[in-house]
Order: sequence, then structure tokens, then C-alpha cells
Amino acid sequence: MKIIRENAPALALIGAMVLFPFAISLLTGEPIDAGTPKFWQGMLAQVFILAVYAISYDLLMGYAGILSFGHAMFFGAGGYVVGILLKHAGWSLPAATLAVILSAAALSLLIGVTALRVQGVYLTMVTLAFAQMMFVISEATDFREWTGAEDGLQSIPVPAWLSPTHQRLTFYFVSLAFCILSYYLVRRITQSPTGRVLVAIRENELRARAIGYNTFVYKLVAMVVAGIMAALAGMMNALWNLNANPNMLATSTTINALLMTIIGGAGTLSGPLLGAAFIHLLGYGLNVAFGPRWPLLFGLVYVAIVLFLPYGFMGAWRSWLLKRRLKM
Amino acid sequence: MITLGILALVLLDLFARFEPRVAVSILLSGLTLGAIYFLVSSGLSLIFGLMDVLNFAHGVLFMAGAYIGYAFYASGFGQSMDSNLRFLIAILVGGASGALLGGIMEFALIRPLYQRPIYQVLLTLGLTFVGTEIIKAIWGTVGYFMETPKFFNTNSPNCPSPSLLDFLADNCSSILILGRPFPSYRLFVILFGVLVFVGMITLLQKTRIGIVIRAGVQDAEMVQALGVNVRRVFTGVFALGTGLAGMGGVIAAPIIGVNLAMGQEFLLQGFIAVVIGGMGSLVGATAGALLLGLARAIGDQLVLSGLQLPWMEQALSLSPSIARASTVLIMALVLLVRPAGLFGKKD
Repeated sequence: MKIIRENAPALALIGAMVLFPFAISLLTGEPIDAGTPKFWQGMLAQVFILAVYAISYDLLMGYAGILSFGHAMFFGAGGYVVGILLKHAGWSLPAATLAVILSAAALSLLIGVTALRVQGVYLTMVTLAFAQMMFVISEATDFREWTGAEDGLQSIPVPAWLSPTHQRLTFYFVSLAFCILSYYLVRRITQSPTGRVLVAIRENELRARAIGYNTFVYKLVAMVVAGIMAALAGMMNALWNLNANPNMLATSTTINALLMTIIGGAGTLSGPLLGAAFIHLLGYGLNVAFGPRWPLLFGLVYVAIVLFLPYGFMGAWRSWLLKRRLKM
Repeated sequence: MITLGILALVLLDLFARFEPRVAVSILLSGLTLGAIYFLVSSGLSLIFGLMDVLNFAHGVLFMAGAYIGYAFYASGFGQSMDSNLRFLIAILVGGASGALLGGIMEFALIRPLYQRPIYQVLLTLGLTFVGTEIIKAIWGTVGYFMETPKFFNTNSPNCPSPSLLDFLADNCSSILILGRPFPSYRLFVILFGVLVFVGMITLLQKTRIGIVIRAGVQDAEMVQALGVNVRRVFTGVFALGTGLAGMGGVIAAPIIGVNLAMGQEFLLQGFIAVVIGGMGSLVGATAGALLLGLARAIGDQLVLSGLQLPWMEQALSLSPSIARASTVLIMALVLLVRPAGLFGKKD
């Protein structure tokens, strides 16, 4: 009973999300696998995938204080690995998923060992450079056979039971489960002793080292976990779009993670969730309202938030709660 | 010392691999690229050294300079002017717009954030996004080609010019160097880079404001305590750095064209140059830019002619993107050996 009471808001949200497709179907009177319900299942499935990507970024930036500008490389790598394995190597989805996890672990270890040798803005630049290298390689014509160069890897054969076009409801529940599991996993990590050490590193790395923690190893762990999660999110994204393209590796994808994390509130776990939903839905709305000019508005909103709302929605909400409590 | 060693090794290999005249023209191409990288990296490095701000918007200002300079150069109201004069003014206009935009940016947006270091980076990244969108809204997504001015682009029967002296008389678009034609405009870019370098060194070493800047790099608070208005110096240096970038954009435009990808590309190369050279040192930024330029020129030549290693039967031929990607590996190597960069202070 205690567990249920403590996690009531989260459980309520999960319940709402599970019931959501049926509710919309009831409200609009349309069948559950067509029309408006199908469209909104798709929108939310994308939000869930982006939320995992944002949470993985928050683990790095919000908790460990590692400002990486190369997060898109893991997202894109996940998409490309699953695409190439499913399309060209004919692997099954579970095997490809395992391969995504392993390759993301290897990649993040490699990047981590190199980039974590330097700190602060150096790390930012180095990770950006690595990501850009991957971006350039994904566009290189040498590997057109495998990656499709600048056109991207088109028509990935997704197994029929998970097809986002024909089995939308299944895809919805799979991505919901994926999101819940990832959230739970990261929550366990951040509440574990390891998570506390990560926060200590963010606050004062020198002191954490003086206490006797090998901060390099802890940061590497954060990097690998975040890398694997981002790669899995990239994989889901590729399955959803049925393709993997260089844009997944571009700097704008990293900026997207940053946006979702900052707007929602870095250093909290519900922040990135909120940010992902806000950005995806607002982006959709702005796109409908303003057409292709919407990224400009988006950028301005982002700049305004950095200037005036530095801790995001969650930060603003918490400080409002605190103020109200102090008054009472 | 290390830099000189690497340079000597690279040069030896270059001359062993190609015949001298090819090697020389590769060298010159490298210097051209290096000069453009220098215009970007010197500003980045100075700004970081003085105020610890990593300016991600530098690339966008480079691009903005190129677009605005191009717009002036190609637009109607300047068309009646002589193309050489127009080009000169375009360089100044590009530099001035870079400096103005950078100055406003520092004054209005970055200044409130000096207390929150990580947010400056986030802000400048956001400005990259906004700036690119604004440029896209004004000039569209298609790229433009910028012609070189008449001084570097005149047809005459005795082209290409046999020597530099002849070039001054006939203004051909290329000059024979060891019997191989080389674009004359690129020689101008090298000369321009050298001039800016000399100017910067003079400014930093010989003038009063230069002393303040160098002292500020060491310890900005101390300079403030001595009665100098450091905030004003910050804005000035920021504008100087972004102005150089804007100028660099115009200078680079006749070689690489004016397009939406150039900002990101040159920002990245600027970062790599700064990381290789070491943050906060002008000499470091210059050395990094030159090394990077040479590496790119050699890499491009290698992928073009195909890479033949001793155990290979057939030369490995790759696309230029691979050469672009390989500069990142150079940076990773330097970082592994010397995390502070070649000229950086160890800390």
C-alpha cells in the first residue's frame, strides 16, 4: 500500500497513458486503429521515444554535470545499427537490439575514454567534434551501399507485429513500456550510491576525488548508460520512421536533447519527460500555425528560457512550491 | 618544439610522396585554408582566454559576415562601383557586421550570464539556431557563388601569369608556381592572414589596450581591481573576435561559396584548431589553424590520388568526406598526448 501511495502521481500518469488510446477512441467515436486515435497514438509514441532520449541526456548533463554536445551520435548510431542489421544483414529484431546495446556500449566507452580526459568546455568541443565526424561519415558516398549516404537508410524492414503503420497500437504500448522502463532504470541509478556520487561530481569534482572516489570511472559509467539509452531511443525512432538518416546525427538533434532537458528542468527526471512532451507537441502546433518558419520561434523560446527560467519548468514549479510553503 | 617536429615530419613525407611542384601547391592550399581557419580560431581563442566564454555562435557570425558581405558585393547599389573597391568594402562590411552583432550579443545577452558559466554555452548554442534560421529566412536555403574581384580575375593572352611581378601587371586568375598554376586569389588569402596575424600581435604586444587584454587573460578580476573597466574590454574583445570571423567569412566566400553549412563547418574546424593549439593563446590558435589547414590539404590530395600503403595492391580511393572526418582524429591524438593543447598552459 505504501508503495502505491508514494508513487500515486506516477501510477496515475501511467494509467492515463494506458487508457489514452481507448479514451480518444471513445471520445471521437472512431475505431482505435484509424483516424484521430491512430494519429495521437503516433504523436505520443514519438513523445515517449524522445523522452527516453532526453532522460539519457539529463543523466549526463543534469546529474553528472557532463555537458556533451555529441549526444546525437549515440541516437543516430542506434538508428543506423538497427537499420543496417535488419535491412542488409537480415537479423531478427531481438538480435539487432542486442547489437545496438553492445555497439553503443563500445562507442560510448571509446568516446568516454578519450573525451573524459579533458573537462568543461574542452569536453563539449571534443564531443561535438566526434559527433560531427560521425555525421560526415554518415553522409560520405563511400558507404552508400550500406548507409544510403545523404538520402539516409530507407525502408527498414520492421517485423510485422511491430509495424508502426499497421500495428500502431502495439507500437504505442511498446514505446510506452520502453519509456517507463527507462525512466525506472534511471531513477534507480540516480537514487543509488552511484547516482549520489555523480551529483557530488557535478557539484564539486575536486572534493569528490579528495574523498576517494575515482571520478573518471563514475563519469564513464554515466556516459555508457546514457549512450546505451540514447542508442535504444534512436533505434525506436528508426523503427518508427522506417528509416535512419544523417539528420539523426546532426548537431540539431543534440540541441533538441538540450532543449527538452533545459525547458523541462535539468537535474530532475520528470523535467525531460515534460520537456519532450512540450517540445514535440509545441513543435507540431507551431508547424501547423507558422509553417516552415517555426524553428525560429522555437530558438527564441529557448533563448528566453535560458535567460529567464534557468531551471526550466520543474525548477520554476519547485521554487513556487517552496515560496508558498514559506508563506504559510 | 613538438609542433616544429611534427611539421618537419609532415613536410618530409610530403616531398617524398609527391614531386616538388605538387608538394608546393599542396602546401599553399594548406596555408590558404589555414589562414581562413586562423581568422575563426583566433577570435574563439581570445574570447575564451579573456572571459571563459566558449562562443558557439562564432560560426554563425562567420556565416552572417559572408552573407552580408556577399549581399553588398553582388547587390545593385554597389554594382556601379569598381569590383576591386566593392570587394574591399565587402570585407569591411562583413567585418563590421560581425563585430556589431558580436558586440550587441555580448552586451545584451551574455553579460547577464557571467555568473552562470554553463548557461553561456547553452545561450550561444541557441543563438546559433536562431541565427541560422534568420539567415535562412532572409536569403533562402540555396547557396550563392561569389566571384573574385577583377584584380584576381582578368583574362589576358599571357595567362597564367608566369611570376608574381607579372601578375601585378596582368591580374590573371592564376599564377605559375614552379610551373604549376595556382589561383592568385588564394595567395591573397594567405597574405591577408599574415597581415591580420601581424596586426593582432602588434595590438597585443605593443599597445596599451593589448597589455590590458593580456593581463585580463591572466586574471580579469585583478585588472578590474587596478581600475580598468574590464566589462568594456570584454565587449571590445568579443566584437574584435567576431569581427575577424565576419571578415573571414567574406574572404572565404569566393573559395567555398556562401551557404548555410559553412558556419557549422568552420566553427568546428575553429574548435579543432583551438583545441590543438591550446585555448587562450593567439600563437596556439595560429599554429593549430596552420596544422589543420595543412592536414586538410594533404588529406584531400591523398584521397584524391588514392592512398597506397606498402601492403596494398590497389590504391585505396575515398571521398573527400573522409578527409574532413579525419581532422577530428588528429584532434583526438593531440588530446591524448597533451590534453592542454600544444601551446596551452598545463593545469
